Amino acid sequence: MYRILEKKEIGMRHVRFKVHAPHVARKVQPGQFVIVRAFKNGERIPLTPVAWDREEGWITLTVFVRGKTTMRMATELKEGDEILNVAGPLGNPVEMKRFGRVLAIGAYAGIVEVYPIARAWQELGNDVTTLHATFEPMVVMKEEFERAVGRHILEPVPIDMNKSFPENMKDVTRKLTEKVRELLEKEHFDLVLMVGPAGDQKAVFEVVREFGIPMHVDLHPIMVDGTGMCGSCRVTVGGEVKFACIDGPGFDAYKVAWDELIARVGYYTDMERRAMEEYMKALQGGGE
Amino acid sequence: MATKRKLIKVRVPTRERPVEERIHDFKEVNLGYDFVTALQEAERCLQCPPDYAPCIKGCPVHINIPGFIGKLLQHRDDPDRAVKEALNVIWACNTLPATTGRVCPQEDQCEKNCVMGKVGDKINIGKLERFVADYAREKNIDEELLLEIVPKIEKKPQKVAIVGAGPAGLTAAGELAKMGYGVTIYEALHEPGGVLIYGIPEFRLPKDIVEKELDKLKKLGVKILTDHVVGSTVTIEELLREYDAVFIASGAGTPRLVNAPGVNLNGIYTANEFLTRVNLMKAYRFPEYDTPVKVGKRVIVIGAGNTAMDAARSARRFGVEVIVAYRRGEEDVSARVEEFEHAKEEGVKFEFFLNPVEFLGDEKGNLRAVKFERMRPLEERDARGKRKIVGTGEYVTIEAETVIIAIGKHPNRLIVNTPGLKVERGRIVVDENLMTSIPGVFAGGDAIRGEATVILAMGDGRRAAKAIHEYLTNRAKNN
Ligand SMILES: Cc1cc2nc3c(=O)[nH]c(=O)nc-3n(C[C@H](O)[C@H](O)[C@H](O)COP(=O)(O)OP(=O)(O)OC[C@H]3O[C@@H](n4cnc5c(N)ncnc54)[C@H](O)[C@@H]3O)c2cc1C
Ligand SMILES: Cc1cc2nc3c(=O)[nH]c(=O)nc-3n(C[C@H](O)[C@H](O)[C@H](O)COP(=O)(O)OP(=O)(O)OC[C@H]3O[C@@H](n4cnc5c(N)ncnc54)[C@H](O)[C@@H]3O)c2cc1C
Ligand code: SF4
Ligand code: FES
Repeated sequence: MYRILEKKEIGMRHVRFKVHAPHVARKVQPGQFVIVRAFKNGERIPLTPVAWDREEGWITLTVFVRGKTTMRMATELKEGDEILNVAGPLGNPVEMKRFGRVLAIGAYAGIVEVYPIARAWQELGNDVTTLHATFEPMVVMKEEFERAVGRHILEPVPIDMNKSFPENMKDVTRKLTEKVRELLEKEHFDLVLMVGPAGDQKAVFEVVREFGIPMHVDLHPIMVDGTGMCGSCRVTVGGEVKFACIDGPGFDAYKVAWDELIARVGYYTDMERRAMEEYMKALQGGGE
Repeated sequence: MATKRKLIKVRVPTRERPVEERIHDFKEVNLGYDFVTALQEAERCLQCPPDYAPCIKGCPVHINIPGFIGKLLQHRDDPDRAVKEALNVIWACNTLPATTGRVCPQEDQCEKNCVMGKVGDKINIGKLERFVADYAREKNIDEELLLEIVPKIEKKPQKVAIVGAGPAGLTAAGELAKMGYGVTIYEALHEPGGVLIYGIPEFRLPKDIVEKELDKLKKLGVKILTDHVVGSTVTIEELLREYDAVFIASGAGTPRLVNAPGVNLNGIYTANEFLTRVNLMKAYRFPEYDTPVKVGKRVIVIGAGNTAMDAARSARRFGVEVIVAYRRGEEDVSARVEEFEHAKEEGVKFEFFLNPVEFLGDEKGNLRAVKFERMRPLEERDARGKRKIVGTGEYVTIEAETVIIAIGKHPNRLIVNTPGLKVERGRIVVDENLMTSIPGVFAGGDAIRGEATVILAMGDGRRAAKAIHEYLTNRAKNN
């Protein structure tokens, strides 16, 4: 059981938890993640420690409210409550070395996962530019980034109420790829890193590939155990089957079978929607 | 007791829930004996002398079988006492009898050797063991026995760390705690039990029974740290600094995949993933439980071991058609006879001599069908005594929305990558005392054997506990 020391909404649908988890705080490195089970009947979901204090034994996790589990975490968990399980740290740390000039991109909440990596790379002597593309009310961690890296670029996209959500998301993808192209045309980069939805990762990768710059991606396939026991997180990389939780989550973007990954992350969409709907119904019926 | 006994040739049956009923839920299929029927079955036992009794030799942990059966007969007028004494005999060798009584392949072990087999049915040893454990649990007799044991434990200063809370780790923990060592188990998942909790389904091994068996360990003073992934949260090297010895019992959790195109299509599960979703995460109760699982109208299970039967029977309980496709023949099926029979009764279909060569998908990346090559057996046999098979060049395609791959597992990679740990073909190498290439680090169970059985894992746990005790005793002497 892991106590929630602080809980704070840091942007629309973005909730930050400071959690007492000394076993993770002691060990975690940039690029690693944890598996969290917050509730008794709950599922196990992967989340990324964004900041930590090894001595005080806490980590912070930022949850983007997406479906039932993250919604429940945002609404039901209060400061002082306990999260049932926090397993980790899991996955491989990113490579710690001097690459030179790095462009580190986060789409939507992906930016929170970029933070520990970008910060550590900058500290190591890299010149890191971070780029955050998201909807206007979802801009988060602006000051933290401005303090941690050489340059932080924001691409806030307004939400157009007359358009459907998927249409709005297409605007973000377009803005993102345009901005990446503009940066790569004007400046020299030695490495690109990106965290975000698989579709956006692929779109950005296609731009980066035109410039032939090495690109590192942290992949987000669906995970269950996070320890290499089930293969739910498998992805094809360089023609071989890899388990993202123990072989990754970081991979070379040039080797990832993108369409397969995109199909796999969408497999449970209908059931996820059902879980959310039933939860909302229960909230409405059970509340007041 | 010198009166000549009449041989009762026929086994006293246990009750099973009817197929039509059990196929719709995950509740236990076999209902076991009650005291009256258990006694009737116990009476059939010839009470062979313990130094001869072949059943004991067949049991990997050498439970004194006629001994515990004898206790039931001896105190037939006092069921509570009969069970308490019988349990005491079993516990001397086996701390998880409710589990082993249910999942051991008795037909290949204790029962295989039972002399009653020469004149009639063999004694139903597994179900008697299970009866003792279940009755004791229901009447809190196991608690009583524990309370008698715990105060007698003399605490020792040394500490032992155990990696993995499956049958091997749990058994070693129990034995070491009884010897007075401070024991801490490091378990990666959120619940202890290993395959007992995430693999074997409720309808064979109810999870509340496993949990109760685990409570006993906690009463013996064993600490269990869940969410701790050794190799990542803490390394073996670090454990060695804090503990006097380490026992690796991390099992063989890494699933093997079929090496065929299309294996990452949606709808293709490893048995580990499918069973973990269904058993550990209770996805069969979605959306009451949050974890989803998808079971198409037709499911193909690949493989024919225990895991395949469990996956097939679990899938059947979603009300769909299930086909087990196996590349060898019916005589090569490695699952327990009882489970193979249950699967057939429950309407699981079997296709033999089919080897998957390709998974076919639709434009959305979802599985649509599986292409198999027909195989043919040869006279020649392989190292395990199974007939070799060859492809015929003839192919069949079977449509299915879901495939569950159950063709075996490898030991956990996070552990196997420990520097200095000798590993061959993915398995941890140990000497005759179960010590690994790192002094003070022992290993057992599936981590050294590959996928084996619960009782062998428990046997390793006991042997390792003894070896650790000797190792620590010698070390203390030499210091
Ligand atoms: C290595 C890794 C690190 C991550 N770090 C963060 C983080 O720091 N902050 C954050 O907000 N999100 C993070 N995610 C994504 C997060 O796990 C999902 O948002 C979460 O599981 C959604 O759960 P839900 O029930 O709210 O939504 P659902 O309705 O269940 O799903 C919404 C979407 O989330 C994804 N998803 C669902 N279940 C899982 C699962 N078990 N594993 C992975 N993806 C899933 C699917 O793509 C799905 O379409 C990370 C994912 C991975 C793999
Ligand atoms: C579906 C299925 C059905 C089966 N049916 C039967 C049956 O009917 N009868 C029978 O006798 N046998 C059966 N078996 C085989 C039997 O379950 C195994 O042989 C036995 O469980 C092995 O025990 P173990 O303790 O070595 O490993 P496991 O039971 O695998 O336990 C290992 C534990 O270690 C944990 N772990 C792994 N890596 C780490 C790490 N890095 N750090 C910390 N913890 C870790 C795992 O989470 C797990 O809890 C079956 C197996 C399966 C999969
Ligand atoms: S071999 Fe059979 S008859 Fe003899 S003691 Fe064992 S169970 Fe009883
Ligand atoms: S999440 Fe199960 S193997 Fe990676």
